[in-house]
Amino acid sequence: MATASAGTAPSAVERAIQRNLKGLGYLASSAPVLGASPKDVVLSRGPLRLYHYHPLTDEVYRVPVLLVMATTNRGYIFDMVPGQSLVEFLLLRGYDVFMADWEAPRAEDRALGMKDYVEDFVGGSIAEVQRLTGESDVSLVGYCMGGVLSVLWAGLNHAAGPKNLAVFTTPVDFQAMTLFQAWSDQRYFDVDRLVDTLGLAPAEMLQTAFDMLRPAGRIAANFALLDNMWNDEFVKGHRMFDRWSNDMLPLAGEYFRETTKQLVWDNALMKGTMKVGGRAVELDKISAPFLHVTAEHDHIVTTGASAPLIGLIGSEDKEQVVLKGGHVSLIAGPNAVKRMWPRLDSWLAEKST
Amino acid sequence: MSDTPNLDPFGLARGWMSQWEKLVNEHGTQLLAKPETAQAMQAMSGAAMQMQAASQEASAKLLAAANLPSRADFEALGARLATIEAALARIEQSLRTVAPNSAPPRPPVARTRKPPSTSPDA
Repeated sequence: MATASAGTAPSAVERAIQRNLKGLGYLASSAPVLGASPKDVVLSRGPLRLYHYHPLTDEVYRVPVLLVMATTNRGYIFDMVPGQSLVEFLLLRGYDVFMADWEAPRAEDRALGMKDYVEDFVGGSIAEVQRLTGESDVSLVGYCMGGVLSVLWAGLNHAAGPKNLAVFTTPVDFQAMTLFQAWSDQRYFDVDRLVDTLGLAPAEMLQTAFDMLRPAGRIAANFALLDNMWNDEFVKGHRMFDRWSNDMLPLAGEYFRETTKQLVWDNALMKGTMKVGGRAVELDKISAPFLHVTAEHDHIVTTGASAPLIGLIGSEDKEQVVLKGGHVSLIAGPNAVKRMWPRLDSWLAEKST
Repeated sequence: MSDTPNLDPFGLARGWMSQWEKLVNEHGTQLLAKPETAQAMQAMSGAAMQMQAASQEASAKLLAAANLPSRADFEALGARLATIEAALARIEQSLRTVAPNSAPPRPPVARTRKPPSTSPDA
């Protein structure tokens, strides 16, 4: 008991001192540089930026990997800092990695709709990856709405591929996203008026909606930061994730309008009535090996919203994996390094030759 | 009961914060899910949008009176630039097929990698 007492008391005092000292340093220091893995921008079209990362091995798998980022956020969540970068992890494991990332749409991009995002941006990225690598096969890996875009593209182009389709925390049953449903209730939410007035769906509005899913989240996160100010690793992680979660993007007006009407109001993807550019999306015709990784404690895309996707995909080789973690910690941070990344690698490696 | 002195000033607050967070998230989301809340939120955002639209209109008139370009003028300029960018992208694309990239190409990597379990040296 005496030993334990001697062990804990100085530690608490030490932490209190460190909190104060490092707290001052925190305020004075600059944020870490994120998304810095060497890359080329190989395609730039509207808000789309297609990156090709420089390989880190002499020999890569035959099939390139195209990551498709969610349209509301920046892609550097896949490439935080060395040692905490999914991109770096995949490069070191011998993949040829591309990423479809997004810039904020400009006022003149207001007319970009679902067809542009699916056919022109995802489809155009696939075509560019095929051209640059000389390979017709491409593995498509989408996150959240990036997963929806990937699934839509695959459902429209099932004859053409992809070679493999992996998605993370991808919603399909939008009726199950109860808070988003309540806030976009057709009786009160006039999406036409919003889009026609503003042109773009403002990032601040989207940020507020995400924040309201956990009303106490920000205050609790700031308390946790203060409490753990002595812990350099915690502070580093907090800064990275805080910067990313505050770095939201506005959405092109038509894309937001179509997402609201077709996906949220009509639940068209779940009902099998989804059309993009007048063409039917046929999830049951997708035959590529399919992996859906969801998070046990996802408060944004809840299990109810994501779980039905596996049943709608036609592939014989399909798998759903539920891992510990939340919507973001599933794909980035120490939890992802330990759980999701190795899982993705083991699934993808044997299908990438 | 432990006789160890608790010298961590955050110890008590940590437990309190955890309970508070749980409570606020639980009750807050229940409140936010109510149709009345959604109605109030949308009424507020509708009013904000109307104000923004009115303010944009007034600003445009003011700028026109001062012979300065308005937001709409900049947007039109942006749209024209986007058309030029798209045209440039098409030209770049065509040039790539005609002439190789002027930048020194990175050495090509062999696309022959095998998964560890199938590698002969695994």
